Amino acid sequence: MLLPHAQTLAQARSYVAALADRALTLDASSAYERVLLELDRVHDDECPALDAEDLTDDRDILLAAASSAIEELQTHGIDPLSVELILAMIVDAHDLDIG
Amino acid sequence: MYGENGAQMRTELAALLRQHRIMHRLASGSAERAAAGQQILRFRQTVLVWCAQAIGVARPLTFPNVPPKPADPFRAASDHGAAVAELARALEAARDQATTRAASSQEFTTPSTNSVVEHWRLAARAAALAEHDTAPDQSIHLTAAQARTIAGDVAAISQALVVLDRRYRNTPDWESIAGCDRIGWAALATALDVSLGQPDYSVDQTGWRPRTKAIGGPAKPGVLGVLQAVHNLLVRLESFPDAMNLRLVVDSQRLLSAGLVPYAERIDPHLARQWGARAETYSRIQRELRNIGGQLGNGSGAAGEAANAVGRLKALHPETVIEPRMLGGFHALFRRIDSRIIDILESGVERGAFVQRVTVPRLVSGDGRLVHRVRERFVPVVRAADLEVIRTAREQLRPPEQPPTSSTGRSRSDLHAALVHRPPAKEPRRDTPRL
Repeated sequence: MLLPHAQTLAQARSYVAALADRALTLDASSAYERVLLELDRVHDDECPALDAEDLTDDRDILLAAASSAIEELQTHGIDPLSVELILAMIVDAHDLDIG
Repeated sequence: MYGENGAQMRTELAALLRQHRIMHRLASGSAERAAAGQQILRFRQTVLVWCAQAIGVARPLTFPNVPPKPADPFRAASDHGAAVAELARALEAARDQATTRAASSQEFTTPSTNSVVEHWRLAARAAALAEHDTAPDQSIHLTAAQARTIAGDVAAISQALVVLDRRYRNTPDWESIAGCDRIGWAALATALDVSLGQPDYSVDQTGWRPRTKAIGGPAKPGVLGVLQAVHNLLVRLESFPDAMNLRLVVDSQRLLSAGLVPYAERIDPHLARQWGARAETYSRIQRELRNIGGQLGNGSGAAGEAANAVGRLKALHPETVIEPRMLGGFHALFRRIDSRIIDILESGVERGAFVQRVTVPRLVSGDGRLVHRVRERFVPVVRAADLEVIRTAREQLRPPEQPPTSSTGRSRSDLHAALVHRPPAKEPRRDTPRL
């Protein structure tokens, strides 16, 4: 894994983790966790550490940043179908979150 | 379990000790008495075999309560006061010198119409089962106090065998225990030696237990299906899961705990609060596990059962009433799952199956390199207590230790009472002329 790929993945993981932490319901939080697990599974669990502490509390901004980082993973050789599935999962989790 | 089998042996022997006039009870004819006597000899041999095995297991851990003599450098170490060793030797000699073979498993399982033989059969069956409980592989976990309890039990049972041997002497073709007197005295000395210390009756909880199996077949309807999946999850967790499957299991636990809170609130608000706190703890553990990786292990079976449990819980009707007995079942399973997850975390970190993810270094351009590779992805954990997830699990998830039951049990006092009891005095017949 090259450094730019690792950085993008770390960003994507951090944003999704922040979304899971800030979700209003347990079910939504669990759905975001599944997105995170799917990201890890696509990378065979060889992922860098994440840091979701100092990110914004605005969930819309977090969602936009997470989606953009996940989309960017395509440029680092990740299968486009997997990326699309993860994006669909994150949208479903967001739907659960806003109710 | 040793407690069950030991209690059964003591109960049957106590019942036998209370029976007097044995010849009358055995049979009416001499040939039948001899046949019953031979059967009893085979059952007694089984009990004797267990006694010799159990005392052999307890012996290395049992220390005499007699103060040792001052060391004499001109003499070899004396075995003064080791009553247990003497009893072990006597029992082994009696077992080896007996000409009767131990009873077969067919005899154990065939009930007898004669009450005396039936008591012996049950005692021998319990002795054969107790060989599992005091087998060397089970007994490596014994403490010295627990071994002393076993030695005391063997001493009491040996005394009972000696007393019964005396009582059955007039049976045709009876074979007395070899070294009967020696066993009797050694058992007495062992019982005294053991009573000087403080025995630990928690030994009753040790021993062989049937292996827990997953509940197969189709999903049970309603809450039973959830219970079935949680039970199966616990069974599947026996194999070590990798980090990702562990995260799935942890996620399922917080969903389950939080999902069961509304059902528990109607019956037991205290339990509902406990499960609410458990869901919070698992949320925290879930957060802290994100930076833990590791590909050793499998755990896909556990993750599948966890998903089954969550799915079945979500399918429950909100008005469903969960009985207190089922809530208790969930509580017991949750406690064991918590304990297993802590064990998995601790042992995983200790043996390097779980490692910490590394933060990505900053990308510095213009350092002369075209390709920047991530050299390290994981680092091993030096000390388990450094990890937040381990600290959280130890502080909040470790179930409080339940005080072990240390009651002597009724069967022990009953056997001792039977050993020292005297037969009731015969009432004089009214028509007998008095002197």
